[in-house]
Amino acid sequence: MKIIETRDLVKVYGSASNAVHALRGIDLDIERGEMVALIGPSGSGKSTLMAILGCLDIPTGGSYALDGRQVEKLAGPELAAIRNEKIGFVFQQYNLLPKATILRNVELPMLYAGVPRKERRERALELLAQVGIPDKAGVLPGALSGGQRQRVAIARALANRPALLLADEPTGALDSKTGQEVLALFQELHAQGNTVLLVTHDPAIAALAERRVELRDGLLASQECREEAA
Amino acid sequence: MKIVRIKTSGAFRERLFESWVELRENPGRSFLQALGVMLGVASVLGGFAISDSQRNQSERLFARIGGTDKLNILPTDTAYQETPSALQNANLGLREEDATEGGRLPSARAVNATSVVREARARVRSEFADQERDVSGIGADYVAMNGYEIEQGRGFSAHDLETGAPVAVLGSQAASVLFPTGEIVGKPLRIGETPVRVIGVFAEKTFRFHEGQENMFAWRNRIVAVPSLLVAGRMEGDDYHRLDRVTFRVPDLAAMTDFSKELSSLVTANHRLQDDFRLDDVAKRMERQMSQADVYNIIFMLSGVLALLGGGMVNVNIQLASLKERVREVGIKMALGAPGREIFKALMTEALLLTLLGSFVGFLVGVVFSWVITHSIGIPLMLSPLSFVWATALALVFGFLFALYPATKASRLSPMEALRYE
Repeated sequence: MKIIETRDLVKVYGSASNAVHALRGIDLDIERGEMVALIGPSGSGKSTLMAILGCLDIPTGGSYALDGRQVEKLAGPELAAIRNEKIGFVFQQYNLLPKATILRNVELPMLYAGVPRKERRERALELLAQVGIPDKAGVLPGALSGGQRQRVAIARALANRPALLLADEPTGALDSKTGQEVLALFQELHAQGNTVLLVTHDPAIAALAERRVELRDGLLASQECREEAA
Repeated sequence: MKIVRIKTSGAFRERLFESWVELRENPGRSFLQALGVMLGVASVLGGFAISDSQRNQSERLFARIGGTDKLNILPTDTAYQETPSALQNANLGLREEDATEGGRLPSARAVNATSVVREARARVRSEFADQERDVSGIGADYVAMNGYEIEQGRGFSAHDLETGAPVAVLGSQAASVLFPTGEIVGKPLRIGETPVRVIGVFAEKTFRFHEGQENMFAWRNRIVAVPSLLVAGRMEGDDYHRLDRVTFRVPDLAAMTDFSKELSSLVTANHRLQDDFRLDDVAKRMERQMSQADVYNIIFMLSGVLALLGGGMVNVNIQLASLKERVREVGIKMALGAPGREIFKALMTEALLLTLLGSFVGFLVGVVFSWVITHSIGIPLMLSPLSFVWATALALVFGFLFALYPATKASRLSPMEALRYE
């Protein structure tokens, strides 16, 4: 079963006269349970592709099926529901709400999904234990180290049991040791059956993935597969 | 397949709780936003309270010094100063019968006291003093209606009033001038050519609108009171015992309207259709009272509305100033699956909650504020529940209107742009 299936995905910014073609026709398939790295230099269209795959933006042309559902034509509220249900984001800058407690940050996606408060709380605590910071529920993000914050972000991304974990340079703001730990966590999640898409410019990180997809000038330049995870 | 999973039923309570959490997470911003509401509500409430207190005090003053509850019949000036017509001359003028017959009218049920006065100016001589003074010939319930109380001796008996007995009761000032030392009760007094005996002294009457003001009832203490029959009959030789004023006290202003109509036709008939008397205009009095209240209310409502308007603008400014912080927040929430309308509803709920909380603090501030003001001008504070309702209602209307713009703006952000916003 394919989690991601895009055909001839095109994204054009601006008007006809000075149009920027960020994506020029992407055909990308990702199977359930895969761990894929999306690499490419800046300006290659990586961020645009990530935004579209993450349902934060819609393509100008082409088709995109996420977990079996065509999403390329959906409007704002439906996209929001898809993001809520199917996608877990992990950002480079963590993107935690700075004034909300860790617990509440992790609860947020479940709040929008309409999960009752008690259930939300239990699941959030469970997730925090799973990512290795069970005792930080009551503190604010500012009190945590970068690595811990990224663990919170991962816990939050997992809250609604998404079909796809979408990580955008998840170690970009971390030192190498902490970065390794976070990547190890992703590998662990992958081993548990989660589908992971890692967006990165770092070949060393991309090497951890089963498959690497390289983007250049809005086109897929190459796809390499690797049999064994490190 | 479940796509839209945002709960719509029972979501308001949840949203309210979330708003409370949001407000608690951002105490500084929330406080500044609530400040406008607080001041607006305080100003509406304070305005109403001060206006109510002032009006209440004015009404008390009216009731005590003139009284909106009193209906007077007075002779017109023609009878005194101009050349009266033959018919007017043949008239008997305002008499005791006008008062007694007026009291028997069907609508006189509403009357709870009647008084009559015949004024005179005369030389008043005691063993100590010799002065030209006003002398009040009084009858019926005059003493009680004007709130006089006997301090020494006794008041007029019914017999004194019916026969026009040569007796006098003095106000406290008149007593101290005419009899600076020694006993007063029982002493002889000569009013004009008529010898009378002092039978009592009224207690001093005082009324001050504000603390420290001069006594507005000083004139009442100057009274030299004798039966009206004594003035009309023995002193002035008026066989018809005419009066200068008849007063009915009617506590119910609505009933006074009916009574004044019946009284007017009665007196007109008694006076052979001659227009030689004047009745207080009740309608005009009611109108004046109402319009005065309206003016106060409009002024204070306006000042409150202006304060809320200012507060609302402050609120919008704070919202816009905290936009950078907010936009990222909104972006994150949208990425996590909050649709635009959820963002809108959340912000509106937050504004609503903020308005209510601000209103409560505003109540406190407003009450303290109006207490300080009324206390400093020395009138009792009066708070009506209606002013709380008005203040809250206005705050909610303005809170809602001013929240619309930032909430709409936030809900229309694109998640991608909001996330990248720096």
